[in-house]
Amino acid sequence: MRQICLLFLVITGCSASLEGERTIQDDLGRTVEIPHSIERVVPLAPNITELLFASGAGSKVVGVSAYDDFPPEVDSLPQYSVIPMDFEAIVALDPDLVFASEQVNNPKDADTFAAVGIPVYFIAINTLEDLTRAMRDLGELLGTSETAHKRATQLEDSLAQLAVLTANLPEKPDVLFLVETATLYAFGQGSYIHDIIDIAGGHSITKTQSIRFPILTDEFVLASDPDVIVGSFGPGFEKAKLLTHHPAWDILSAIVSDQVFGLDPAILRPSPRLVAGSWELARVLHPEAVTNP
Amino acid sequence: MNRWTTALLLLALFSVMVSVSMGREVSFTEALSVLWHHATFGYGAAPDPIADRIVWQLRLPRAVLALIVGGGLGIIGAAMQTLVRNPLAEPYILGISSGATAGASLFYLGFLPPLISKALSMPIAAFAGGLCAILIVYSVAGSRGHLSMTRLLLAGVAVASLMGAIASFITLSSPDPDKLRSVLFWLLGSLHLATWSALIWPAIAVLIGLVVLLVLARPLDGMLTGDESAHSLGVPVESVKRILIVLASLVTGSIVAASGAIGFVGLIVPHAVRSFTGVTHRRVLPASFIAGAIFLLWADLAARALLPGAQLPVGIVTALCGVPFFLILLRQNRHGFG
Repeated sequence: MRQICLLFLVITGCSASLEGERTIQDDLGRTVEIPHSIERVVPLAPNITELLFASGAGSKVVGVSAYDDFPPEVDSLPQYSVIPMDFEAIVALDPDLVFASEQVNNPKDADTFAAVGIPVYFIAINTLEDLTRAMRDLGELLGTSETAHKRATQLEDSLAQLAVLTANLPEKPDVLFLVETATLYAFGQGSYIHDIIDIAGGHSITKTQSIRFPILTDEFVLASDPDVIVGSFGPGFEKAKLLTHHPAWDILSAIVSDQVFGLDPAILRPSPRLVAGSWELARVLHPEAVTNP
Repeated sequence: MNRWTTALLLLALFSVMVSVSMGREVSFTEALSVLWHHATFGYGAAPDPIADRIVWQLRLPRAVLALIVGGGLGIIGAAMQTLVRNPLAEPYILGISSGATAGASLFYLGFLPPLISKALSMPIAAFAGGLCAILIVYSVAGSRGHLSMTRLLLAGVAVASLMGAIASFITLSSPDPDKLRSVLFWLLGSLHLATWSALIWPAIAVLIGLVVLLVLARPLDGMLTGDESAHSLGVPVESVKRILIVLASLVTGSIVAASGAIGFVGLIVPHAVRSFTGVTHRRVLPASFIAGAIFLLWADLAARALLPGAQLPVGIVTALCGVPFFLILLRQNRHGFG
């Protein structure tokens, strides 16, 4: 009986590989074996969902994380927790492939999925170029190359148009990008945030911080004296809120000249909406030079 | 004042000077000139405004908070060790810190309504949480007037875990990711939220703690010999115990509300101090206060220096430096307890 079982396993194992799998590399350089036709996919982070929809593969998404809120189509999809990872709920959705975000998910989670035979593909977005590259990769993987390519090119054109507007500006202000008002979470080296600030016509003061997500000191901010402070605080943000937590900042150039702005929190998600975020920041930094969308 | 206390005081003063003048952004001499400018009420040329703010509004309140928190934890650790007549007692191990953290995070994440003002509600919530934790521990450990040390420590560890779990649960179930990020940093113990106005409540609470404990120094000495003999010495043992419990919760609660739960200071410092001063509280308490303050000042200096421009929670450093130091002390020392 045991031998029959083993034989059965061997046969089904073989047939699976005969059916046709292909081996690809994900953004972490991991080797991933995926089936040829992928019909059911599951994203493990909200920005991956947005990338999938933007690449024309929205109809293949069979569930989303509890943090997902964009595009509106996600509201009708089943939800699962990703921190901590609800493996059962995700396996129950019977995905052909799981997409993870290098920024959010733990590579160890992939081992658990591998144990139940579900491949995991990691996507890493550390620059604005990564964004459109990831869209094209997704299009190729999921058979929606044409849409993915078209959308990626649109985004690139939009960014190129913005770059032209900000290329020859006489002054590039020093910009501090914050994630939080009280505890100074920021982005260190190797983040797409610096690309956005760059293309929007600014200079990011945390670009060279050696830690990826440093918690800045008040001293660092005072000594750097940024011209503009922006954060993912949403529109209508008041500088008074910063001053209640950091009273010593009252002499910063950004505070004195009223250059404190809240941006759409979507800027924290490395998704196609970063392009709109770049324009939003450019309008804030250079209201005269950047007027259209 | 004996010579140890004098030496410690001088060292504390020196540590504050170092803490205020060390850092990448402002040079040593510039920092000293800012201090001089304020100490002389504006005598001489005004310093650079940015250096002025860094030294006077960031570094000095932070150093003072380190003094208050380290000193407060030092004296409360010493008092708790006497209260339960066990060298392992400290606010962290007996669950007070965890209870205070749970109370404070309940308030911070908006699960409790603000009572009076925001500045006062958080210390009150932390105080209530700490008191709640120590009362549970104490009532589990005591039966018919007798306090079982084993049960006390076991209950302390258990309640600390329970309160820690409550705090984590509240934190992770918070719908607001911004607050979640802040709480995570604060849970590890950090002095980064120090401003002059944030110092008022912890300063008052720690001052009350120090004064009350110094007044109780003689009864505390009596309690070291055991409840029975303390009674025969005329010490109102039960009342002193109640005062100590409320006081420990009050001081720990205000400290936790200002800086999160910083561990090991209350455990290590009184031990280190006793090996120099002996066990009399008239000496142990002031020395524990100053030594705790110095220890936390240097731990914070290290936390600031390790990652330039960015920062580490000081609680990590107190554990990293404190525990090996404590183990060495345990291994070398012959001083008895009580």
